[in-house]
Amino acid sequence: MNLTGWTAAEVATLFAVGAAVITGLYLLRMRRREVVVPFAALWQRVTRESDARRLWRRLRRLISWLVQLLILGAICLALGDPRPDVWLRDPVTLAIVIDRSASMAGEADPSDRSEGTGPTGEGAPARETRLDRALARARAEIAALGPSDRALVIAAGAEVATVAPLGRDPSALLSGLQDLAPTPGEADLGRALALARHAVDGQPGPKILLLTDGAVDDAGVKAIRGCAEGPIACVVDRSGGPAENLAITAFAARRYPDDREKVEVLAEVQNLGDRAARVILEVQADGLGIGRRELALEPGESKREILPELDAARSRLQARLLPVDDDPASLAALGPPSDDLAHAVVPPLRPLEVALVTDGTDLFLEAALLTLDDHVRLSGVPVAEASPDHPAIAGADLVIYDPGPEPMPAALSPKNAVFFDPWRHPESPSPIARGRDVARPFLTEQSREHPILEHIVLKDVNIRRGTTFELEPGDEVLVRTLGDPIVVLRAQDASTLAVGFDLRQSDLALRTAFPVLVANIIAYFERSAPGFVASVPVGARRPLAVAELGLQPEGLTTLEVHTPGADGIADPDRAPELAPVQDGVVRLRATQPGLYRLRAVDGATAGAEVWIAVNQANVAASDLHDRLGDLPEAQRAGEAPIPAPLTQGPLWTLLILVAAIALALEWASYHRRWTV
Amino acid sequence: MSIFGRLFQGARAPREQADGELFDEAFLARLELLQVVARRLFRGRQRAERKSRKVGSGLEFADHREYSPGDDIRNLDWNVLMRLEQVLIRLYEEDEDLPIRIAVDVSASMLTQGGKKLRYAQQVAAALAYVGLANLDRVGLTCMSGKVHQTLPAVRGKGRIFRIFEFLRGSQRGGPTDLRAACSRLAAESSQPGLTVVISDFYDLDGAFDGLNLLRFRKHEPIAIQVLDPIEVRPEMTGLRGDVRLIDCEGPEGADVTITPATLKAYAAAHERFCEALAQSCRSRGIPYFRAELGVPFDDLVLRMFRLGGLLR
Repeated sequence: MNLTGWTAAEVATLFAVGAAVITGLYLLRMRRREVVVPFAALWQRVTRESDARRLWRRLRRLISWLVQLLILGAICLALGDPRPDVWLRDPVTLAIVIDRSASMAGEADPSDRSEGTGPTGEGAPARETRLDRALARARAEIAALGPSDRALVIAAGAEVATVAPLGRDPSALLSGLQDLAPTPGEADLGRALALARHAVDGQPGPKILLLTDGAVDDAGVKAIRGCAEGPIACVVDRSGGPAENLAITAFAARRYPDDREKVEVLAEVQNLGDRAARVILEVQADGLGIGRRELALEPGESKREILPELDAARSRLQARLLPVDDDPASLAALGPPSDDLAHAVVPPLRPLEVALVTDGTDLFLEAALLTLDDHVRLSGVPVAEASPDHPAIAGADLVIYDPGPEPMPAALSPKNAVFFDPWRHPESPSPIARGRDVARPFLTEQSREHPILEHIVLKDVNIRRGTTFELEPGDEVLVRTLGDPIVVLRAQDASTLAVGFDLRQSDLALRTAFPVLVANIIAYFERSAPGFVASVPVGARRPLAVAELGLQPEGLTTLEVHTPGADGIADPDRAPELAPVQDGVVRLRATQPGLYRLRAVDGATAGAEVWIAVNQANVAASDLHDRLGDLPEAQRAGEAPIPAPLTQGPLWTLLILVAAIALALEWASYHRRWTV
Repeated sequence: MSIFGRLFQGARAPREQADGELFDEAFLARLELLQVVARRLFRGRQRAERKSRKVGSGLEFADHREYSPGDDIRNLDWNVLMRLEQVLIRLYEEDEDLPIRIAVDVSASMLTQGGKKLRYAQQVAAALAYVGLANLDRVGLTCMSGKVHQTLPAVRGKGRIFRIFEFLRGSQRGGPTDLRAACSRLAAESSQPGLTVVISDFYDLDGAFDGLNLLRFRKHEPIAIQVLDPIEVRPEMTGLRGDVRLIDCEGPEGADVTITPATLKAYAAAHERFCEALAQSCRSRGIPYFRAELGVPFDDLVLRMFRLGGLLR
């Protein structure tokens, strides 16, 4: 405690003088009022009977004297303007960044439980989450703020928000912490820390406190290290705990290419914890259970479950992880709930856009493609016009180059492509390099297991001439001629299938296997077409091509987005959000897992609706392990500070208040004749 | 003008005059129907309406005796003479008056609160005197405190009531209360015992009852009427608080007292005990005791309470 006003000597002198005056006045005999009574003898008898209470009366006078001294002492001390040591430090501007990613819903370290940090709501689970621990630390920091300190609270989830603006009112800061809850997905710590830096930069005593569990993604690790290297003090308080967690890391459905009324569902479950765990994977379609399986996973193991041959009439799917027979270990292994539930929608029926670059002489290929017209939209492009900017090629999912005797186009489409005899001429832009020319090649070996060659035997096919290819790492050889690759598949973002002979120079097109081969090729590329991506990861602004959603981008400027309710399905009663569409791309604000309903407001498909599944499906977000490692001592937040005794105003005002209250009590007691 | 108005005419406050109107002719007419009751028979000096032990010229037959020369032959019992041939004289009970002495305490304690208690005591004294005079009793008044200030010799007849009023109005006042000394002096001055009504607040811690007992010892029939002011009985009504010096109105005595609600309650309880002790002492000696608080209407006291207590009938 320090006196910043009058010195201690001055205060003591004033108190001594004042106390002497008060004591002197108390020692002076009180001038009593004279009252004439008719029976003084009886009064004397009564007062003699109450002599036993004289000591108490003297004591009351003593108390009254002490109260006067208390008032004097409070006033003298107020003149000294006392301030605790904690108030004398330089003012601090503190930015509290709270990580509320999905991992913060994980259990905190039970051995480090502190009093009053657990959840207090009725019906709340007994376990304390990491976010509870972080919020307790935030409250401690707010309680420790001095009268000249200021703070703000930033919540870092998929979206970054300032839940309490910069100020010194503890109630406002604490109210910002009330509704904080873990959000699905990973926290955008980069933006949160940048916001914190901007908020405290230039303020007195800037400091950033990050409250996290350390289970952050690479971007988060980078942001934290970058924050520590900045000019503003940046410390981290970690509230880690057990890392047991089972997560659905993938959940999707696709239509069978050959039977569009049937779907196949894939669910991937990963054990991100450190111990083996058992769990039940349950899949429902429109609320009806279609699969239930118990899985046993070793630490780090991932298992995929495929549910084949399901009816596509049920378009909304849910997968959830359940504990095995109320097994506490199984329940504990589930970890945070946000990754125990995943959604999927059966992709809409959308024809595959195929552009055929041909000289128009290969009727067999065109005929084979036209037989698939129920799910293929074929566009023919002359070889001379086959630039990537050609509308048919630009909008195609698959481009088939079959130029025949003509040379290949100078520029190729970056999309999925199939080349027939790309090296007939010495110059070719084919991405798969040329090997050598082969006269009358025989197809001697084929990869029977590959889906492109399913149900096909390429035996005794007569070919006039062909070209082999040079392989690169990752290339898959489907067919060989005496050991040399003649049909090669390069599976990348845009896959390429190269066939080293011309269909016109072989009898393959005359065989019954040919339409099957064409159908297999279309089916293979259809699987990799964007329309099969039926799940969107959680994020603040996820770019989605509206064409991939089955909506025509022509003229489409706005989408209505119906966000999911508590049941995970778009709530029809909730007011929709409007999302602008630019260049055929909409940035979806998908902060909550569930099924979103998108409706085209305008454009060619105005009024059309599509469903989008949003899942956490993020291994980094589900991984509860601390990835920050050992931080430098300067970057550790240390123990929670001791709460400041008072946070509002200087102490002398409180002392004046005490004096005023004591004065009021003395006044009231005097006039109520309690102390006289 | 009412009798009470004539009693306090002159230098009296308007309030007193207003109160005096209550003492009107109708009230006096009702008083005339009353009679002071004496439990014993006292010897009177003149013939009146009360029985006495003497046999004389009353109306009620008492006895016979033999004729003696000089007897009034009008009292000769002719019936006995004719039947038995005995000459007997009829004797009759003698009716005498009742000596009534009304002693009014005029000490300083009766003068507090504007003298309300004294005025009330004077009203009571006047009423009782009028009752006595109306019944041909001899009524005397005495004003006393620690001594006997003034004495009005016994008078008879209703026409003397104005003299009583004058006496009450002009009597000396003040002085300390000493009922023992005053009653002793009163008994000594009374040549003939009789009914003695003492009207006082009896604020004499030691001698309140002793004075009455002394009168009883001197063959008087004392009657105690204690006049009390409600504010003095229950001082918490005054709202008095704090450190005060209490000055006795009758002397130099004083006491430094811290008045608290508890003190006031203690005083009220002590006062009640004092009055109750006085009443109990009177009852144990057969002395009628009446407690008259100023809050009780005067006519109610005289016409109802005194009759219920057996003082009047």
